[in-house]
Amino acid sequence: MAEPAATFLAEAVHHQWTAFPELSNLCYVHGRPAGSPAATVTVPVRPERAELRVWEGIEMVKVGRAQVWRRTSGAAAPHRYSAASLVRHGLTHEPWPRVWRQVPLRPAYDAVIVGAGIHGLATAYHLAKDHGITKVAVVDRGYVGGGNSGRNTAIVRSNYLTPEGVRFYDRSVKLYEALSAELNFNVMFEQRGHLTLAHNDSSLRTMVWRAEVNKLVGVDSSVIGPEEIKRLVPYLDTSTETRYPILGALYHPPGGTIRHDAVNWGYARAADALGVEIHQGVEVLAISTTGDRVRGVVTSAGEIATPIVVNCTAGHASLLCDMVGVSTPVVTHPLQAAVTEPVKAFLSAVVVSGSLHVYVSQTDRGELVFGASTDPYASYSTRGSLEFTEELASHVLALMPGISKIRLLRQWAGLCDMTPDFSPIMGITPVEGFLLDVGWGTYGFKAGPASGEAMATLVATGKTPELIAAFDLARFAEGRLVGEKGAASVGH
Amino acid sequence: MRPVARRATPTSGRLGPRPGEVIDRARPLRFTFDGRPYLAYEGDTIVSALLAAGESVFSRSFKYHRPRGVLSATFFDPNCTVQVGEEPNVRGAHRRVRNGDVVSAQNVWPSLRYDVKAANQAVGRFLSAGFYYKTFIKPEPLWPAYQQVLKRFAAGGVVGADDPHGYYDHRYAHVDVVVAGGGPAGIAAALGAAEAGAAVLLVEEEPHLGGHLRYGGPEALRLLGELRQELADAKGIEVLTDSVATGRYDGNWIAVHQRSVPGATERLVKVRAGALVVAAGLIERPYVFAGNDLPGVMLSTAAARLVNLYAVRPGTRAVVLSANAEGDAVAALLAAAGVEVAATLDARRAETVVAARGHGHLSSVETSQGRVVEADLLVTATGWTAPTSLLNMAGVRPTYDEAAARFVVGAEPSPGVFATGGLVGDASPEGLVAHGRAVGARAAAAAGCGKGAVLPELSPGPHPALFRSTTHGFVDYSEDVSSKDVFQAAAEGYDSPELAKRYTTATMGPSQGKLELVNFLGVLAEATGRSIGELGTTTWRPPYAPVSLGALAGRPHEPVRYSPIQPYHEAMGAKPLVAAQWIRPDHYGDPDAEVRRVREAVGLIDVTPLGKLLLVGKDTPALLNQLYVNKWSALRVGAVRYGVMCAEDGVVFDDGVCGRLGEDRYLMSTTSSGAGAVWEWVERWLQTAGRHLDVYVTPLTTAYASINVAGPASRTLLSRLVEGVDLAPEAFPYMAVREGSVAGVERCVLWRIGFTGELSYELHVPAGYGLFVWESLLDAGSDLGVGPFGIEAQRIMRLEKGHLIVGQDTDGLTQALGAGLDWLVKLDKADFVGKPELVWQANREDYDRLVALVPTDERTVPPEASQLLGIDGDIVGRITSSRHSPTLRHPICLARLAHHLATPGTVVRIHLPDGRDVPARVAETLAAYDSEGVKLRA
Repeated sequence: MAEPAATFLAEAVHHQWTAFPELSNLCYVHGRPAGSPAATVTVPVRPERAELRVWEGIEMVKVGRAQVWRRTSGAAAPHRYSAASLVRHGLTHEPWPRVWRQVPLRPAYDAVIVGAGIHGLATAYHLAKDHGITKVAVVDRGYVGGGNSGRNTAIVRSNYLTPEGVRFYDRSVKLYEALSAELNFNVMFEQRGHLTLAHNDSSLRTMVWRAEVNKLVGVDSSVIGPEEIKRLVPYLDTSTETRYPILGALYHPPGGTIRHDAVNWGYARAADALGVEIHQGVEVLAISTTGDRVRGVVTSAGEIATPIVVNCTAGHASLLCDMVGVSTPVVTHPLQAAVTEPVKAFLSAVVVSGSLHVYVSQTDRGELVFGASTDPYASYSTRGSLEFTEELASHVLALMPGISKIRLLRQWAGLCDMTPDFSPIMGITPVEGFLLDVGWGTYGFKAGPASGEAMATLVATGKTPELIAAFDLARFAEGRLVGEKGAASVGH
Repeated sequence: MRPVARRATPTSGRLGPRPGEVIDRARPLRFTFDGRPYLAYEGDTIVSALLAAGESVFSRSFKYHRPRGVLSATFFDPNCTVQVGEEPNVRGAHRRVRNGDVVSAQNVWPSLRYDVKAANQAVGRFLSAGFYYKTFIKPEPLWPAYQQVLKRFAAGGVVGADDPHGYYDHRYAHVDVVVAGGGPAGIAAALGAAEAGAAVLLVEEEPHLGGHLRYGGPEALRLLGELRQELADAKGIEVLTDSVATGRYDGNWIAVHQRSVPGATERLVKVRAGALVVAAGLIERPYVFAGNDLPGVMLSTAAARLVNLYAVRPGTRAVVLSANAEGDAVAALLAAAGVEVAATLDARRAETVVAARGHGHLSSVETSQGRVVEADLLVTATGWTAPTSLLNMAGVRPTYDEAAARFVVGAEPSPGVFATGGLVGDASPEGLVAHGRAVGARAAAAAGCGKGAVLPELSPGPHPALFRSTTHGFVDYSEDVSSKDVFQAAAEGYDSPELAKRYTTATMGPSQGKLELVNFLGVLAEATGRSIGELGTTTWRPPYAPVSLGALAGRPHEPVRYSPIQPYHEAMGAKPLVAAQWIRPDHYGDPDAEVRRVREAVGLIDVTPLGKLLLVGKDTPALLNQLYVNKWSALRVGAVRYGVMCAEDGVVFDDGVCGRLGEDRYLMSTTSSGAGAVWEWVERWLQTAGRHLDVYVTPLTTAYASINVAGPASRTLLSRLVEGVDLAPEAFPYMAVREGSVAGVERCVLWRIGFTGELSYELHVPAGYGLFVWESLLDAGSDLGVGPFGIEAQRIMRLEKGHLIVGQDTDGLTQALGAGLDWLVKLDKADFVGKPELVWQANREDYDRLVALVPTDERTVPPEASQLLGIDGDIVGRITSSRHSPTLRHPICLARLAHHLATPGTVVRIHLPDGRDVPARVAETLAAYDSEGVKLRA
C-alpha cells in the first residue's frame, strides 16, 4: 500500500491543483481517507499522467491506481440515492461518494453537539436545515451510531400514557413516516402494528387508560380482544389454559420498527451535506465555562471555542453534566437485548408483554429481536447475563410455545439513563449555553426526530418549544413530573 | 436461473474403511433429503451421507441464491444449514443422521436445484452492500409492498405455531475447572487439572474428543489413543460431548449447551467454576477469490474430516492451495485416498488461485501462473482464525500478531481464566499436550487444588497473511457479502470495523463471524490502507454458538400459587382470577348476590394471598414509624392500626394493617400484590439505614390461610367456633387483635377489621387447617345464611365504602395527600420515608385528588380508565374504579381529578371509550355506604 494513494494525495496538495484547493474538501482517496496524517508525505508524481473524470456532483483525478475524489456541486446538491443511481453505479462501477466527510477539527463552532447518535445528529440536521446554522460540530468518542442508537431494538410508537408524552412521541412518528424521503436514505420504517398484551385485569385497565388518552390526543390506539389478537399474531397462544392468559391488548397500528443504523447514517449524511461536521473518535474531556456561561469544549483532539454545548449523550449523560456542575436525577441502568437466527417470516406485529417482561419483533431478515425491562441495578456495563436469556426464553415460549427450536444468536446490552418519572430531560440548565437532551431511558430512539427538531429550535431561538416544555430539568425541583412508567417500563 | 445439473458421474463418494472413521458400516440408516431417500451409516452427518451419495449442493445463499456446498464440514459451516423435520437451521455438517430424518433444503424456491431467485445473481451488481438504503425511497406509499418482497428473502428455516415444545432440562454443576474444547490441549488440560485433584468438566463440541487429532495421520491417532486411555483412567473428569460452552459470565459462571443428552431434547448446564480453560483450537480461514463459494471449493480441514472421519472422497481431481504444513498434508492425504491432485499451489511462494469457475459446481481453477486447471475439488489452506469468543466475554482483548496473521492470547490472560492450544500458539501435538497439561495444573491451582506447574513456551509460528487474492470473492458466505462490498463500504465512509460490519452485515449471520471475521478485517484493512492491528476488531458477544430458546428456557418455572382452600373454590366452580402469582376465586356465579349476603347476613372470603410479616424485637415501633406515614409508638398490645407506606418520593407504595400481638411481637399485613415488595423494602431498611434496630422479620404469607368473615352475623358465627377470645364488642372492639382457637385449631390470629365496611373479622389460621376452618365456618353458619364471596364482591363493597386500592386508585405519581390520606399522614413525626416530599406536597395545592364520582345517568357504569374532560376538552382526570352498586342501586366510581375541580358538587364530563360523554357529580365523601363507620364498629 506504500505506493500510490498517499503519495498521490500529497502531490495533489503540494502542487495546489486548482481542482483541489483544500484538504477538507477531498472526499476520498483510494486506499486512505482524506485528511489522514500520512497524506502529508511528499513524493514526486508526474501530473501529466493524471486523468480527470467527471460525473454529476463528483469528480475524480486518477494516476495509475491512485484516485482522488471530490464533490463538485457543493453542499447544496448532495449525491442523490435512487433506483436509477443504483443502476448507474452498477453499470459504470462508478464509486459511491462518502456518506459524510472526514475533516480536521476547527478551533471554533457556533454549537458543539456531544454524541453522534440519533439525538445529536438529528439536532445538527435540523439546526442546519431549519435554521441555517451550519457551523456545527457533532463530536463522539466512538463512531456514528455506536452507542445506544445502535444498540436499541428499533421500535417506534407513540402509545404513551400522558398527554404530553403522547403528543411528543406522535410528532416523532410523523417525522419518521416522512424520514426516508426527507433524508434521501431508506430507513426501512415499517408500521407493522404494536401490541401490548394484558394478562390480568390491572394491566388491561392500564391499556384502556392509554388507549383513551391516545384517542383524545389523536393517536390511533385501541384495546382489542383475544380473537383479534390471534388474527394479528397467529403464533401467540391465546387459549385460556395458559399460566398467563391473554385477556386483551393495546393495539397501536402506527407503531412498528425501523432500521436504526439507517436512521443514524441518514441523518449524518444529510447533516454533513448541509455543512455540519461529524467528528468520530473525539472525546469530550472538559467543558470550559466563565461564570455560568459555556465558553468551549476540551476534547481529545484539541480545544474548541463555542457558546453552545448540547448534551446528546446516552448512558453517560450524568458524567457530562458533572463537567459543568449540572445535577440531574439520572441513574444509569443496563438494558439487555438479544437476537435469534433467522427463520421465515411468521410474526408481523411487535408484541410486548409487561407482565412477562419481554417484547419481540421479527426483522425483515427473519431474526427475532427481543428485549426486556432494564436490569434492576445501576451499572455502566454493556455485557449480557445468562439469567436474562433464560428468563427471556421462558417468557417468550410462554407466549409462543411453538418456537422453542429457534436459536438465540447474540445478546448485548445498552445503557439507559433513567429518570424518576420515565420521561426525558430536554431544555436549558442553570449553565447558560449548556443544553440537555438526555435521560432517554428506554425510549430515546423513537424520540430522535422530534427531539432533534425541538432542540434545534431551542438552540437557534433560545426559546423552549411548547412540545418539549413539560420535559425540562426544573420539573424535578418544581414537582411537575410526567409519569410514563406505566407505558415505558417494558414496552420500549 | 438455470438448474444446477445433476452430475452423471458424482464427484464425491464413499471410500474404503479408514483407520479413524467414526461411521459404523454395520448400522445403516435411512433418511430423506428434499423427498428423495438416502442411506447413511450410524455416525454420518447429514452432509457426509449426502456427499457419499454424490450430492454436492446443500443450500442456496441468502441474497443471490447461489448453490452452496461444503466449506468447513463443521458446526459453523455456513453452507450446510438444513431443516430437519420441525427443526429449522440445523447444521447439516454437524448433526448426526437419525433413522427416518426428514431433511429439506432451506431458502430455496421452488427447489434446491432450480431456484428462481438465483436470478438475483444476474442483477447482483445493482444489489451491492446497503443497496436497500439507497432505493425504494419514493414513492413512499409503495414501500410497504417493497418490504414484503424483501421479507421473502429472509433466510432460514420454518417454525410452526403448534410445533411441540420438547423436554428441555437445566442442570447446575459446581466444579473446580471447566475446560472448553476437547482437542489435544484441552484433554491434556483436563488431565493436568485432575492430577492436581481438581473436579473437571471437559466440554467438546463434536461427538468425540480429539480435535484435529481425529482426522490427522497415524501418529495423531496413536497419540489420541493414549490420551483417551489416560482419560479413562483419570478420576474427577466429567466429559460432555456434542456440547459447547456458550457463554462465560462474571465469576466464571459458565453456560454449557448439551445438544444431545439421553432423556431430554437438550440441556443447559450452568456451571460455577473455580477456573476456566479455553482450548477452542483454531478455525481454518477461507480464502477470498472469485468463485470461492462454488460447491467443490473447501477448506483443507474439511477435506481431511471428510476423508478420515466419514470415509468420503470429496472429489476426483483436485487443486490444492496451501500455505502451511497442514495443507501440504491434506494434498498427500487426497492423493493417498485416490483423488488425482492436478496441481498444488504453494502460497508461501506467492502461488495462488485467481478464480474458481464452474456452473453449479467447480469445473476449473485459474491460477496466478496463468494456468487453467480442470478440477472438481479445490482445497485451500491459507490460515487460521482464533475463536477467542469466551475469552473476550471474560474481558480479555486478544492482540493481532502480524507475523502469525492471526489474533493470539497469553496462557493466563485474566485471573481465573486460562487459554491453551492454538489460541496461544503453534506446536506439535506433543507440544500442545505438554502446554495443556501445565495450564490445567495452573488452573487447578487457581481453583485451590495443587501447586501448579511450570508453563512451557508456546507461541505462534510465522504464517503468510493471506486474506484475498487479486479477485473479489465472498467474505461472508451466510450473508452473501463479497470483498467488493467491503471495499465499497470503506469508500462510502463506513470505514471502521463496526460501521462496515453494520453496513455490509458481514459477520452478523448465523456463523457469527467465526469463519469470516479475520477475512473481513483483512479486506477492510486493504481497502483503507491500514493494518488489522490499527483497525481493531468488533466485539464477540455471547453465545459462542447459537442456543435454542427451549434449552435456555428449560422446563417451565412459573409456579402458580393456590391457597389451601382452593379445593373448595374448585368444587364450587369459582371463576378463577389471575392475580400475579396467585389464582384466586373471582366469584362463585353471582357477585351481586354475594354482596347482598355480606351486607345482610355473613360471608367468607379467602384472603390468603395477603402479605403477612412477623416482626419481632424491641425496636419494631421505630421501624414502623420509619416506614409508615402514621405513628406507631403508642400502639397497645392487642391493638391494630391501618398504615400506608410511601417511597422516598412520597408516592404511595403499599397499605395494610399491623397489629401488636405481644410486647415485642407485631404482625404486619400488606396488599396481596405487594407481599414480596414490602418484605424486600423492610429488609432493605433494616440492612441499610436501620442496621442498629433490633427487629427480626419472618414472612408468614403462606404459613397462614387467611379468611375474612364479614357481615352483621359474623360475630354470631364466630361465637360458635372461637375459644379463648371474648368476642363481646367491648372486649374485642374494632381495630383490635386477639389470639385464640377457631374450630379447635389453636394459635389463630383474629383481627377485627374490615375492607367491606361491615362488621368483620380476619382469621389467620395455620395453613394446614385452612380448608378445615373454612368448611367448619360454613357448616356452623348454615342457619345464618353464610356463604362464600369472591374478589369481585369484595371490590364492589370496598368501592361502596370508598376504600382505595393502591396501584388502581393511585398510580406511579400519586403522593399520599393525593390519595385522600391527609388524615393519616403525620408530618409532625421526626422522620419517615417520603416525609420531605409530603411536606412539600402539603404546601401546594396543584396535585390531583382522589374523589368519589356519581354519574348522573344511573344506567351508565363508566368503564374504568375512562377519561375526565374539562371545559376545553382537555384531560382533567380519569375513572380509577367503577362498578354498579347492588346496595345503592346506582353506579359508583373513584376517580383522580384535577384539584380545581375536586370540590364536592362539581359536575365533570366522563368521556366513555365508546365516544359518548356523560356527566357525573363529585360526591361529598369517598364512602357512599355507611360513611360514619357505624357498621364496622357494631
